[in-house]
Amino acid sequence: MDIEVLQSRSRMVGVLREFFLSRGYLETDTPALAPSLIPESCLEVFATEYVHPTEEHRPLYLIPSPEIWMKKVVAETGRSVFQLCKAWRNAESVSRIHNPEFTMLEYYGVGLSCDDNICLTEELFAALAAQETPPRARPPFRVMSMSEAWWEFARADLDALAEPEAMRAACHERGLLVAPDATWEDAFNILFLSLVEPALPRDRPLVLDRYPAGIECLAADIPGTMYKERWELYVDGIEIANCFTEMANPEAVRKYFSSQSAKKRSALVPHRVDGSYASIFEHFPPCSGVALGFERLMTVLLGKKSIAEVLLFPFEAFSC
Amino acid sequence: MVRGGDIGIGTCLLINGTPHIVVEREFVSPGKGSAFARVRAKNLKNGNVITQTIKTADFVEDAQVDLVDCQYQYSDGELFHFMNNETFEQFEVPLAAHEDRAPYLKEGETYTIVMWEGEPIDIKIPYKMVFTVAESENYIRGDTVSGATKPVTTETGLVVRVPLFIKQGEKILINTETNEYVERVNE
Repeated sequence: MDIEVLQSRSRMVGVLREFFLSRGYLETDTPALAPSLIPESCLEVFATEYVHPTEEHRPLYLIPSPEIWMKKVVAETGRSVFQLCKAWRNAESVSRIHNPEFTMLEYYGVGLSCDDNICLTEELFAALAAQETPPRARPPFRVMSMSEAWWEFARADLDALAEPEAMRAACHERGLLVAPDATWEDAFNILFLSLVEPALPRDRPLVLDRYPAGIECLAADIPGTMYKERWELYVDGIEIANCFTEMANPEAVRKYFSSQSAKKRSALVPHRVDGSYASIFEHFPPCSGVALGFERLMTVLLGKKSIAEVLLFPFEAFSC
Repeated sequence: MVRGGDIGIGTCLLINGTPHIVVEREFVSPGKGSAFARVRAKNLKNGNVITQTIKTADFVEDAQVDLVDCQYQYSDGELFHFMNNETFEQFEVPLAAHEDRAPYLKEGETYTIVMWEGEPIDIKIPYKMVFTVAESENYIRGDTVSGATKPVTTETGLVVRVPLFIKQGEKILINTETNEYVERVNE
């Protein structure tokens, strides 16, 4: 049991709380048990139920992220908000970057764009860095767009690969296995994960910017392009954070819900969907939010190799 | 066919018509994407290692292989010469594709050979093997901290670190995956 790590954790929590409070952010505290969630086909959740003494039981879900609740607070108050809380994701293989229960730091800045959030996140890293933080985890961040990375590391022109057939052909040309009926998104991920992601530079943190709109999510589109206002932060090859300029168009949000709900039909753990969610965007301020895996952040800032090293009781050590 | 999620180290995949053995595997879930198995696989014809990413729910072609016990005889610098322990048939394995196996091959020892379509494509090395120390420098006792080690070379040319008390001509047990010393073997 590494008590020093526990002390580092409390130091970091103290620093980040002061960091956001001093910038006028409101700290939120939202439920961990939710009656319904955002449909996200990329993840599985934990389901449980409320056992009512006399009436019907009610299904409840452990949140995979506090996103829904926090955006409701943003819509209601127009304030920037932050929260550090537990989140849960099911059916992921436990590894050096995955633990089924983890701590999520989310911060939503009203009036900010996802570019502004790059600067804010750099400042946060500077504030949290410790003596043992290696140069590869210290700011300034390197910023590279997804299309630059594709050209640099796979000699592929991402703009020319907008159609599923072209994306599958790009995989084939590079000797990569791809199913003849693979979707654009799957073929994109096959090429990205095989050739681009392993080659990303690791000498300092990397913001991989402008994700293709072909990967469905709740980020705003960049008009006239095939990209979204979305970035992912990689530190030492680990995905630490995801940022969007929030999609604030209720129609687009409804479309996302119906498309993801269809994909979610094959989910291992089905869940109820929050039907009222899209309506909060009828009066939503311009806003950009970041979701950051706090144990992953601790791992890289403390120069560790695995999140198990920063957890007092890692899942893999549980004996059932 | 094998499901992406069931691929592990040692799985033989048929990639663009050529057998490949998986040497590394990790599960990855890109942000907002589904789960994939990212594997590093060695081309068993030329030894090149490539990366492939397979959706855990998808199926890919695996190579149907046979495992045959064979005795290693010698190397002529270009080919490893083996003999099938059951049929006594002699055959060769090209050294170029399996150069990394050379330091683990002891003349007269039995190895499992992976055969695909009648051709030898891989030599499996036992997890632990006994080697003889062929070369070892003498270290002066007493001037080092406890737990100190020194490099030695085995009769097959493998360099491993062993405790200082190990002498030339002694037998040692080695973990062939990590090249770590396990223990001294007294015969």
